[in-house]
Amino acid sequence: MKINERFELLKNENRNGLIIYLTAGCPDISFTENFIIQLEQTGVDFIEIGVPFSDPIADGPVIQKASQEALKNKVNLVSIFEMCKRLKRRISIPYLLMSYFNPVFRYGLENFAKDSNECGVSGVIIPDLPFEESLSFRTILDKYNVDQILFISSTTSLRRREMILKAARGFIYYIAVHGVTGIRDVLPDETYQDVANLRKKSKVPVAVGFGISNQQQVKRLKGCADGIIIGSYVMKEIMAGNHEFLLETLKNFLSILKSS
Amino acid sequence: MKKIPDKNGRFGIYGGKFAPETLMAPIEQLQNAYFTIGKSSEFKKELNYYLKFYAGRPTPLYFAKDFSQYIGCHVYLKREDLAFTGSHKINNTLGQVLLAKKMGKTRIIAEKGAGEHGVATAAAAALFKLECEIYMGEVDVQRQSLNVYRMKLLGAKVNCVKSGSKTLKDAINEALRDWISSFKTTHYVIGSVVGFHPFPVMVRDFQSVIGRETKKQILKAEKRLPDYLVACVGGGSNSLGLFHPFYNYKNVKFIGVEAAGKGLDTDYHSATLCKGSPGILHGSFSYILQDNDGQIHPTHSISAGLDYPGTGPEHSFYKDSGRAEYHAMTDQQVLNAFHLLSELEGIIPALESAHAVSYLIENKKRFNPDDIIVVCLSGRGDKDVGEVARIEGVSL
Repeated sequence: MKINERFELLKNENRNGLIIYLTAGCPDISFTENFIIQLEQTGVDFIEIGVPFSDPIADGPVIQKASQEALKNKVNLVSIFEMCKRLKRRISIPYLLMSYFNPVFRYGLENFAKDSNECGVSGVIIPDLPFEESLSFRTILDKYNVDQILFISSTTSLRRREMILKAARGFIYYIAVHGVTGIRDVLPDETYQDVANLRKKSKVPVAVGFGISNQQQVKRLKGCADGIIIGSYVMKEIMAGNHEFLLETLKNFLSILKSS
Repeated sequence: MKKIPDKNGRFGIYGGKFAPETLMAPIEQLQNAYFTIGKSSEFKKELNYYLKFYAGRPTPLYFAKDFSQYIGCHVYLKREDLAFTGSHKINNTLGQVLLAKKMGKTRIIAEKGAGEHGVATAAAAALFKLECEIYMGEVDVQRQSLNVYRMKLLGAKVNCVKSGSKTLKDAINEALRDWISSFKTTHYVIGSVVGFHPFPVMVRDFQSVIGRETKKQILKAEKRLPDYLVACVGGGSNSLGLFHPFYNYKNVKFIGVEAAGKGLDTDYHSATLCKGSPGILHGSFSYILQDNDGQIHPTHSISAGLDYPGTGPEHSFYKDSGRAEYHAMTDQQVLNAFHLLSELEGIIPALESAHAVSYLIENKKRFNPDDIIVVCLSGRGDKDVGEVARIEGVSL
């Protein structure tokens, strides 16, 4: 399924989307694959599959640790695309790849876009590829019908916001905190207002990520965003072996996002 | 002539700004500050004052008579080892910390391998009264306890980095993560010509004082420009500082010397330009050491200052365009150079700088008796004597 189709559906059902990040290969690749099936059954709307990287500068301790675990298991883009190919038959919700730029560059931009398309990947998130460096890769991804997801943070200047909004595909990934990924008890107050304003200007949906882990945050974001992204919290519970508890929590979040 | 780098920070195809979105605002702010405040004559005047009276510049260009005889041509040593804190690193940290102060920042962070960047940053921060925190890999904290204490004496807080391979690249990762959270009050003093634009050009400009002085000094001593400039290359700041002011003098050949560690045919080296391939690390497109999956390769060198899997984008540009040539020397060759220069000239070179010295020793035949060579003696070896003693089995 394409990203915009899922957001259409969400709009019709009058609810916000839940996007779940998983580091592929932590604790191992078959766990990742099977857990993604469970996430779909739980009602999750999108899956963001993290490609492990040795030097994840935008990530906090949890995802750093998860990435190292995955790298120990020799997980790479080849094994991740193989998994995606299987997922194409097994799930219907959209799934995206999140990777730092170097593994993608090394794989070959054209190859990466082509394989993404063939394996049913609907979008790509590259945390160290800001708008200024993104055009040539976006052109290639467009050719293969894969959305390049761009970021905006509260510090993004107005001039850059306009350019980013113009080039946006799929959704805008709004970074909720000044900092790296990781669990925060509260988000800055300004985040909620900024997201609400951004949503009015954006032609694509706005999803908020970084720091989200609890009900209060989900409740407040429901009013202003189209989707929320949860990553570190998910990986923390997975690494602790609390899968059932995690799925229960996500069910709870989904019911909050559903209620009017 | 085309401007290098261009306004996007590109040296040919290399460089750029591969930064997380959150850092784009502080990077833009730094870029504006550097190209306005940093280029103003008042700023330059103030910086020159500190370079002269605080750091002890200009450093001498020393004619190494006995070493010249040994090599068989005219060898001059640019004595950056005599700059305050013991290396060229102070040229950059004074510049960046002064700029940070003008930008209204109150806190400085920096990474440290086992070179002198951490100490030079801590000194500059103490001088300009800014709070200072240094990130250092756990492995380097262990092999550099004296330097850790030096930084503490200068008022800096030292953070021990336990993530990843626990060395320089991980210290840079951790400093970047700090900066993503703290940029409103904090400036990140990157120690080499690496990172996203404008760091590579800014650090090069601050280090170019080495080459500008050298040009004046050699013209006075020899009435002509040198035939060769030789310097070690890790990230590549002392080498670019020496090379860059000579860029347009095509008869002056540039030789960059990397760390071959235990050998280029082993996995234990840091020879990014000799053995690496283009990729993206720490914000710029440049040669890096990576595996087939694009994961960054662990590195090794006897000199922790060169123990880094990337290099400055301008070096990558010099390599591809042929403006500079790059070679690599092994740990063993470097140790020989370390001893030889100490004995012949009474100068103990930093192990980093000993790489450049070692290239001359191993390639004597290449040079003619009339050739003039300038070697950048980027730092003093005092910091390395403990490590050398350990390697050679000498108990102190």
